[in-house]
Amino acid sequence: MSRYETNVVLYRLKKDAAFRNRFRADPRRALADADLTNEEREAFARWDTRKLNDLGGMLHLLISIPGLGTH
Amino acid sequence: MGRIVYAAAMSHVLYPDYYGQNVGPHGRRMVEELIAVVREMGRMLAAAAPDALVVIADDHLNVFSFDAIPALCVRVGRTVSRMVQHDAIEFDRALDGLPERYLVHEDLANAILEKGVQAGFDFAASWSAPLDHAFLSPVGTLYGERPVPPLVPFWVNCFVSPQPTAKRCFEAGHHIARVVTEGPWSVAVIATGGLSHFPELSLARIGQSDPAFDRRIVKLMEAGDHGALAALTAKELHESGSHELLNWLVLLGAVSPARARVRFYGEMGRVDLAALEWDVA
Repeated sequence: MSRYETNVVLYRLKKDAAFRNRFRADPRRALADADLTNEEREAFARWDTRKLNDLGGMLHLLISIPGLGTH
Repeated sequence: MGRIVYAAAMSHVLYPDYYGQNVGPHGRRMVEELIAVVREMGRMLAAAAPDALVVIADDHLNVFSFDAIPALCVRVGRTVSRMVQHDAIEFDRALDGLPERYLVHEDLANAILEKGVQAGFDFAASWSAPLDHAFLSPVGTLYGERPVPPLVPFWVNCFVSPQPTAKRCFEAGHHIARVVTEGPWSVAVIATGGLSHFPELSLARIGQSDPAFDRRIVKLMEAGDHGALAALTAKELHESGSHELLNWLVLLGAVSPARARVRFYGEMGRVDLAALEWDVA
């Protein structure tokens, strides 16, 4: 379930520019309604891509989000 | 009676800026060499004048979301669009400048889908999925300014576990070849992706490939040892970063027992690049 939600958030960050902008401005607020564990939420808030990948976040999403993707 | 008139497989980020930025001049040079070879292959493909081009490739979570990931999916309908990604990063920018819409070979796509389900393949069908770089970077490089024949896009879930097995992909390719034989069309088939990169889909391992694995599988394809290739396990593919070899397995099933001819092979470090053709004429 959490893996699903993590990837749903990542997918939305890639595809939804308005959501991405809200996330960049205030990640905790943007994710307030997301069904994430505390560990996942913290990883998103810190944009810790290694941690998100370890938690099941898909590599191809993590590296391709405009303005956030890292290689 | 229809037949496969051309078959090839190749790496699919044919975009020098991506390698220039992420690997450096060595990577840029290598992919430019590959692109030149793929353009030559495109001349042979165009000369074969196929009625349809089956493109076997994967989705990079651009098209199918975690709401549903089809194991194997046939794109049906009359036309298919290029994926649009605003503010795209490098490998999504491989789509820049390509046509926005392509014809689908509706009759062949429907035949692959319908006869597949009758034969026990639970293929998914999509009427709306667009195509990302895995499909259009090779198609655009092969055809250049020449008109592209109607496409039959065929997706393989290469990345989201559990993926279809190598054996199942091989069988799906054999099914495609059977449908082609039963139809009236001349058909070209290409598979894209690879070679090894992003082992274990781990961010920490970006930059690594598995040249020993790649040399082994290329030799198997040259030898026509399709049994060994269809027996590859999910663990082997995952650990070596050869997830996209599943696309090639579909092609192998379509051309078996033909042997591959290597047109390009290069070990870049971050990803190993290749382009192979099969003598099917």
